[in-house]
Amino acid sequence: MSRDKHQRRLLPAYLATGSGTAALPSTLDTLTALRASGRPLASYHTPVHRRVVELVTDGSLTAVEIAGYLSLPVSVCLMLAEQLVSDGLLNASVPTPDALAPSRAGRPSRQLMEEVLSGLQALRVA
Amino acid sequence: MDSKPSVSPDPRPAYLPEREHQRVKILVAGPMGVGKTTAIKTLSQIPTLHTEEVMTDAAVGTDDLSLAGLRDKKTTTVGIDFGRLTLPGDRIVLYLHGTPGQRRFLPLWEGIAYGALGALVLADTRRLDESFEVMDLIEERGLPYAVAVNIFPDSPDYDLEIVRSKLDLHPDTPLVTCDAREMNSSLNALIELTAHSISSVGVGVGAS
Repeated sequence: MSRDKHQRRLLPAYLATGSGTAALPSTLDTLTALRASGRPLASYHTPVHRRVVELVTDGSLTAVEIAGYLSLPVSVCLMLAEQLVSDGLLNASVPTPDALAPSRAGRPSRQLMEEVLSGLQALRVA
Repeated sequence: MDSKPSVSPDPRPAYLPEREHQRVKILVAGPMGVGKTTAIKTLSQIPTLHTEEVMTDAAVGTDDLSLAGLRDKKTTTVGIDFGRLTLPGDRIVLYLHGTPGQRRFLPLWEGIAYGALGALVLADTRRLDESFEVMDLIEERGLPYAVAVNIFPDSPDYDLEIVRSKLDLHPDTPLVTCDAREMNSSLNALIELTAHSISSVGVGVGAS
């Protein structure tokens, strides 16, 4: 789900500082997986942007993991990631595509949960 | 709660599976010291990570502000530990988020609860009442949950039926004992939770 520059959207920075009842941002989720696209950084990118891009150059990590590795607050990491996705430096993939249906409110589908259940049971036996 | 400020910089991060997969969030909730981080460490296949989130004006209007000093506090730092568990086949990756149980962290809850499969509430029989607050927070969000009584060496003898009645649990809410240090025991609690989440599809979903 990479976007072009002209589609740039602002990330609501209040994700974690919270306006209580506000709808959650539909742009990036903490479990959005991010990976560097290979596009070079521009002069306006900061050293922190660079650290994010370098961390996911060889593989994908979720936004929350990037925050953990780089010791950034999750809300800040989401903001940085949103900028980098907009700029085309990161590619993003949503955590669970079928949870995007409005009726699901982001929740995993029954089918997905059943797969989780059988996966957990398989682990337990092992 | 662990006091380490952050994960040590590994030479190489634990990247996600290359093949296409879905990522599912599960909350591990409960009062401080109940074993959330222990359970996450037991279940996680990667070294657990730690994030800090800064909350400004903690829970204005929702907090009773009875805690000494909170009234003057403009920001609060909340630490959250999380781990990752990839299910066999690499098609599903579970994220286990340790979630603080106090209402003053309400602003964080909106984001943390969003999209979660459910919450595993850890309880300690020596201080069951401390679990009420987090159970309320979860119920308010319409999130399915299961309760796991974490067994501590000096826990008093308990009877799950008594625990159930003390916690005022709904008859359908799973209640299990668990040793957060044990993989199979912790997996079993997650299995109970997932089965419960499946059975509650269509019952409470969308009614938050």
